[in-house]
Amino acid sequence: MAQGKATPTFRGYRRPEGPPGGRNHLAIVSGMDNSNPIVRRIGSLVRDATPVNTSFGRALMGEDEAQHWRVMGHTAAHPNVGAAIIVSLEPKSANAIAEVAARTSPWMPIEAVNIQEIGGTLSTTSHVVELATKLSAHLASAKRVRCELGELTIGAECGGSDTTSGVISNPVTGMVADRIVEAGGSVIFSETLEIVGAEHLLARRAADRKTARRIIDSARRAVDYAESIGVDFIGSNPAPDNIRGGLSSIEEKSLGAIKKAGSHPIVEVVGVGERPKKKGTIFADAPCAGVENISSLAASGAQAIVFSTGIGNPIGHPISPTIKVTGNPRTARTMAENIDVDISGVMEGTMRIDEARDLLENELIAVMSGKLTTSELLGETELTVSRAALSL
Amino acid sequence: MSRALVMHPKDNVATVLEDVSPEQSVEIEGGDKTLTLSAKQAIPFGHKIALRKIRLSAKVLKYGEVIGTATQEISAGSHVHVHNIKSTRG
Repeated sequence: MAQGKATPTFRGYRRPEGPPGGRNHLAIVSGMDNSNPIVRRIGSLVRDATPVNTSFGRALMGEDEAQHWRVMGHTAAHPNVGAAIIVSLEPKSANAIAEVAARTSPWMPIEAVNIQEIGGTLSTTSHVVELATKLSAHLASAKRVRCELGELTIGAECGGSDTTSGVISNPVTGMVADRIVEAGGSVIFSETLEIVGAEHLLARRAADRKTARRIIDSARRAVDYAESIGVDFIGSNPAPDNIRGGLSSIEEKSLGAIKKAGSHPIVEVVGVGERPKKKGTIFADAPCAGVENISSLAASGAQAIVFSTGIGNPIGHPISPTIKVTGNPRTARTMAENIDVDISGVMEGTMRIDEARDLLENELIAVMSGKLTTSELLGETELTVSRAALSL
Repeated sequence: MSRALVMHPKDNVATVLEDVSPEQSVEIEGGDKTLTLSAKQAIPFGHKIALRKIRLSAKVLKYGEVIGTATQEISAGSHVHVHNIKSTRG
């Protein structure tokens, strides 16, 4: 590596196939919004169960339904999950999600339960508690073993951005992303609206023409949609508060956001929650909002998410540990319990940028080896699936 | 002494890490070599300072990429912002 440092390793859970996990969750996955209460209840009844709630899910059609099943199925089959129980209102969705999960992680014990057939809240709760208790005993014997940095896929997200994001926390995230890619791993970044203005520069970084075209098309679709609802996205960016913060053009704003993905060629573009086929720097065409975005990144297989924040955001993903990094000294102070890595010393002249990179990389290694993130400790975790269409 | 961060060796601007007053010395960090400039004007935190002269219509580079073109000649140490650069996008 550039600085002559040995490539670090972490202690994770080796899977019979596919990438290793940094957690060994027994995931109780809700198939749709109406199943969330039972899933939450299982979380409080079975000590080691991790409830994974969702939004929507009922009466979806076409691509919307496929996207929902894909995101929930890929979340259940996540490398950080050792066994999963899908709980949904009716059999079709429960089985569809379990099928996606089984296809993705064939080694994983997966159960599909539906409330209508089992019959009501109490019977379903009792049935799932029984299943969960058995699976929990099965997971208890798992041991952590040495895993390579190159076996990692991280998600890079920025939320609550400010001037320090583009100058400090995003570039530092990008440096760690580059190290993982150089070791043979992947970084997935997304937030399509945030690449607009720099999509031509990003397309130049694409490994092939098809990837370049998909990057340009993703940005074009976002701008066209904004226009169709009366928003001139290009003309209104940078916004007045961005200009006050020192951003002079939409290119500059987008480049600051993109910086979190490092500098390597972009090898593939995926849709919301899709699993990439290639290794390296990957762009996911997914919305910017924090919870929607981390839900997509985790479903795409990110074993951990680096969440770069300026003004702060407490949220994390229930399955993919979410590491909050800030370069803003005020946020590091006022939202200390929500920040995992404080690199505001770069702002204050007490930390060099390469020291900040090492700090973030060490934290990522520690978290993948079992250290809990602030959002895990506080229970500040959430999942929501992006909608492809309006509800009817 | 105030500080500014340069993001890429090709860049001709750096981001100041605190409010800079006119004539104040600014130490540029993150580049290949250490550079100290005298600020031509006040530059607010998070805004950009020109590292060298940028000619009219020349590219303004940050992150090693074009963030706009100069709408007037910009001297080293000047505040670089919407008053003297513009986006290359319509």
